[in-house]
Amino acid sequence: MIIILLLLILILAVYALSTSDLLQGIIALSAVSLLSALLFYLLNAPDVAITEAAVGAGVSTVVFVGVIRYTDRKDHSK
Amino acid sequence: MKRPSVTSSAIPLITAMIAVAAVLLPIFLADTPWPVGARDYLQENGFGDSGAINLVSAIYLGYRAFDTLGETIVLLVAVGGTIGILTRSGAILAEGYTNPDTVAGIDSSEEEIPSFSLAREKRKSHALRTHLLEVVTAILGPIVLLFGFYVMLYGHLSPGGGFQGGVVVASGIVFLGLGNRMESSTKLTQAAVLGRIEAAAFLLLILASISGILLGKGFFGNPLSRFTAVPEGFIIMLNAIIGLKVGAGIGFMCIAILGRER
Repeated sequence: MIIILLLLILILAVYALSTSDLLQGIIALSAVSLLSALLFYLLNAPDVAITEAAVGAGVSTVVFVGVIRYTDRKDHSK
Repeated sequence: MKRPSVTSSAIPLITAMIAVAAVLLPIFLADTPWPVGARDYLQENGFGDSGAINLVSAIYLGYRAFDTLGETIVLLVAVGGTIGILTRSGAILAEGYTNPDTVAGIDSSEEEIPSFSLAREKRKSHALRTHLLEVVTAILGPIVLLFGFYVMLYGHLSPGGGFQGGVVVASGIVFLGLGNRMESSTKLTQAAVLGRIEAAAFLLLILASISGILLGKGFFGNPLSRFTAVPEGFIIMLNAIIGLKVGAGIGFMCIAILGRER
């Protein structure tokens, strides 16, 4: 279970780095945070899991999406 | 604008992963036993010293409250910096990022970016808002807010605490701000109210921290431990204060970024 979660986190993180659509990257990052929260919970750290879920999957996604609204959705450097 | 080939982008990625693995490998291979002195001491004395069953709360509000004060100051500086940048760059943001490839729906020629809580027909830019989002967040907002206060106030008994509860409260505030389909408005999404809550909570935190000095317990000492055997009241109070401060601060930041309420 933990190995599967870690592999999923790795795949999503690489996708978030390599995609040129920033909105999809943000959603991938949010999913990474959600899976990390699940991982922390399975590893008996519920305090960290609550923090990770609230900060990583909740607030930081809101901030990133809000910033994308003012800038551009595509990464033009690629 | 040309996309690089797969191999040229994969080589630095694989190199970075191998480097990280080389750094982390000794940690997994080492068979040094973990130190147990602090753990045993906390299991024995943590509840009696601070009154918190959740030993994580006992550490960061009982033994290490000074670190928590530093964390709240870091958060204060981060929120202040974000608001400062947003204020200084307001003109640039309001002008809009003029790029022909911009996402459809964001009209960058509008001179005023709408406030966070306008009705649908009054909003000039709702590219990232849908009916689904508004309905769900309007219903979910108060529930998330209640759960945040639960996590905040029961931090000494169950997992959670001031910071975690505060962030959940901030999510609830953002939900309330996003989902106002019925034109209902709440004071909680106004920047001035949130700023005042944060400032008052920080003042209360400082007052609570020096209250231990007056009773001879030192900075951030638990003043209640002089009167009761299980002094959990101080941790509940600190959790509530820190939760209010974090929730107001992060909610303020999110609302400023999302809505630019002026």
